Amino acid sequence: MLIEVFGPGCAKCQTLEKHVHQAVQELGGDHQVVKIGDYAAMAARGILSTPALAVDGQLKFQGKVASVSELLTLLKS
Amino acid sequence: MPEQPSCACGLPARPPEPAGPSVFRRGGWLALALPLWFLVYHYLEPAANALTSKGLGLDLKGHLGSALAFFFYDAPKVLMLLSLVVLGVTFMQTFITPERTRDLLVKRAGAWGNLLAAIFGIFTPFCSCSAIPLFIGFVRVGVPLGVTFSYLVSAPMVNEVALFMLLGMFGWKIAVIYAGTGLIIAFLAGWAIGKLKMEKDLEPWVMEIVFNPQAAMEQRMTFAERLDLAVQGVKDIVGKVWPYLLVGIGVGAFIHGYVPQDLMARFMGKGSWWSVPLAVLIGVPLYSNAAGVIPIVQALLGKGAALGTTLAFMMAVIGLSLPETIILRKVLRPRLIVVFVGVVAIGIMLVGYLFNFIL
Repeated sequence: MLIEVFGPGCAKCQTLEKHVHQAVQELGGDHQVVKIGDYAAMAARGILSTPALAVDGQLKFQGKVASVSELLTLLKS
Repeated sequence: MPEQPSCACGLPARPPEPAGPSVFRRGGWLALALPLWFLVYHYLEPAANALTSKGLGLDLKGHLGSALAFFFYDAPKVLMLLSLVVLGVTFMQTFITPERTRDLLVKRAGAWGNLLAAIFGIFTPFCSCSAIPLFIGFVRVGVPLGVTFSYLVSAPMVNEVALFMLLGMFGWKIAVIYAGTGLIIAFLAGWAIGKLKMEKDLEPWVMEIVFNPQAAMEQRMTFAERLDLAVQGVKDIVGKVWPYLLVGIGVGAFIHGYVPQDLMARFMGKGSWWSVPLAVLIGVPLYSNAAGVIPIVQALLGKGAALGTTLAFMMAVIGLSLPETIILRKVLRPRLIVVFVGVVAIGIMLVGYLFNFIL
């Protein structure tokens, strides 16, 4: 899976990125986690509030710091 | 709060419990907690006075006694009020997303657009780290620049938590004055920026960005999920701000017990014209969480500071923040930044003078 974390680098965005790494480690398997801070890239994806998360190109949520367990449920489905 | 406090944004993480049964559990728990909340809240003041006078044997009229009684009463009161306010506000905010607000404002030029933007700015969750994606998303989808600014001014200035805290602590009049004047400033600032036609003062790259609103999808939530988010919001926010709140209440208690009655009236009373701009100058670099300012406001008012001056101080602390301005510099040229900060600062000062004059 390709997991993209969108955010300019504020505290909340870093927390989400950390949670994503933890979730991916628990999940196992071959996944790629990318952090995207570029505003043009966020606009192209229709993101209004950060942090946001996309899995395999599809935006899952924005303006929220998801917990590790929440991310696990999301990534498993 | 110097480290990125402005990022108290977005919705909190969802707790791991399954959504189904949790609504009944949470609902039942809340139905018990709410009456208990009101009962405890009602007896806080006599309890604090009894603790100070009988428990510690202090004279309630003395310096230490009145400061301690203030603290014992205010600390639980503010924390309880904040918990209830955050619970309600977070629940409400699960309905008002930035996407919905934007869709409402698209192509709405003119004064009506400014007014709507200012009103919605109060209730939408907002933080300065989301300011740029939000700004680009608004402007590039067709929300007029002036209308976007009305939103950008109102969102931090009329803080929803501060509004309900004021309502709980000082009554509806001061809350309405706070919200009303904040709305007028946001309305006028956005309207002026729209009239000045400052689109050319955006950084050029902003206008080259393609915003694709179709890419984002609406997040649907059940009632249980919204309630869970609200409870989680209380844990997140109250858990983060309580030390700052206690410091704020401590400062307030010190002012209450030790600062003589006429000192504040002399420095922050109606008579001194320079107190309003001074309050704004002191307030801008002081960036605090909205809730932390309230106890200080309470103590200042109690010691004879004029309402207008105190409101100006509070609005400058909450509304004009240095970190947000620095972030916005990425999309706005210096001239537009100066106009933005200038219009808002002048607006706050006008509010200060107006209320010192009429009350």
